[in-house]
Amino acid sequence: MPAHALGTREQWLSARKQLLAAEKEHARRRDELARWRRELPWVPIEKEYMFATSDGTKTLVELFDGRSQLLVYHFMFGFGYRVDEQNPGCTGCSFVADHFDGVIPHLNGHGVTLVSESIAPLEQLQAYATRMGWEFPWVSSLGSDFRYDFGAAFTEEQQKNGAEYNFKRVHQVEPQREGMSAFVLQDGVIHHTYSTYARGVEQLMGTFGYLDAAPFGRNEDPRNPGAWWHRHDEYETEEAVRR
Amino acid sequence: MTEHRIGTQQEWKAERDALLDEEKELTRRSDELARKRRELPWVPVGKDYRFETERGSKSLAELFDGRSQLLVYHFMFGPGYTAGCPVCSSITDTLAPQVVHLKARDTTLLLSSRAPLEKLLAYRDRMGWPIDWVSSGGSDFNRDLGFLNTKEELKPFLDGEIPPVVEQMANATGTDVAGYVSEGPGLSAYTLEDGTVYRTYVTTARGLEPAMAYYALLDRTSRGRHEEGELEHWLRRHDEYGAS
Repeated sequence: MPAHALGTREQWLSARKQLLAAEKEHARRRDELARWRRELPWVPIEKEYMFATSDGTKTLVELFDGRSQLLVYHFMFGFGYRVDEQNPGCTGCSFVADHFDGVIPHLNGHGVTLVSESIAPLEQLQAYATRMGWEFPWVSSLGSDFRYDFGAAFTEEQQKNGAEYNFKRVHQVEPQREGMSAFVLQDGVIHHTYSTYARGVEQLMGTFGYLDAAPFGRNEDPRNPGAWWHRHDEYETEEAVRR
Repeated sequence: MTEHRIGTQQEWKAERDALLDEEKELTRRSDELARKRRELPWVPVGKDYRFETERGSKSLAELFDGRSQLLVYHFMFGPGYTAGCPVCSSITDTLAPQVVHLKARDTTLLLSSRAPLEKLLAYRDRMGWPIDWVSSGGSDFNRDLGFLNTKEELKPFLDGEIPPVVEQMANATGTDVAGYVSEGPGLSAYTLEDGTVYRTYVTTARGLEPAMAYYALLDRTSRGRHEEGELEHWLRRHDEYGAS
């Protein structure tokens, strides 16, 4: 017999209905926060940022690619979780990025461009994307202040003296952190509308939504929740190889 | 001219800080609900459901494929459909890359629909999804979970005013409104212990939204989902969007 509480269909249904009420309330609260995000003031961007892309050097306006809204994922590269010379892309960011190619046609179809950005030479990003089988646009912000200005990379001085990450003062910042920033283009002016970091990024990933529905949930070691994450070609199971 | 409120970096930061507190609260609440899901009683599945799969006919226990947890996405693709539901298709676009990560959590994720297996696999080829898909057409699986509706159950809905979006989706699946809505979308979760399969969780409707990763992203853009009051739904199959 399992150690878990067992029930009849009726017992389960009554507990499930109670949970459903809480889930609905949660969904409504999610809608409310989405509305709140849209109500944040827009901050005009005056600085010019340049990026190396597979179609040559581009400005931030050009990254919009003809659409009015732009999401930029700040992908940690050359530094991060389980990174070495052979595996330069952060394992956590690689996990996040596994979700991008599936959503991009839908976002593009709805007026939103999604791009990833890293501080690394473009060739290195392209080589890693080829290995991972990714097709989403990934640009190099090497040499630009972009990632620093949007709070996902830190100068040597900031690493020494502390800086703000996820809107809080942090004494010991790492050279790079994960995050996503949102921009809108209107009448030729770019405005910064939103940025999110840390667990804010988790909301962009479908996998946790599924694990949260599975019987044992995320089933992680609380001291090291990310211990199970691997790049999708690194899981050592027969099934992973089969695909 | 811009109608939206323009602010300085400081003004934005002050409001962003307040929003962050609420976002953190919501994240903690998500964790709490996930814990409550795991606390639901497990219900033994007594019935012997059979599924047509690429590797022959299988039982529900066999669908676990050697793992202890099973997640079934109930993809709306009835025997009368000529193509899969566009919304379920958009969900599957984001499901397929997760399969390998979920396996690493001892969890098998697959799609199940009532259409014959060959039809499902042909559509999967078109969409290019690396995910297992099984046909439950020969069993009561969907019916028992509430994802197959009878004509009588649907009568009040069909007698009322049909939302244009439902007609749009019915057209997109090559069926009519009654045929389209006879199928329902859903997600069900199971665990296998000592040879017994237990049903642990079932969800549908907006409970499936966490599987729609594009909504989470749109919820962080300046215009949001931007779909309220629209007669036609903006969603298409991923190979059906025009050059935009």
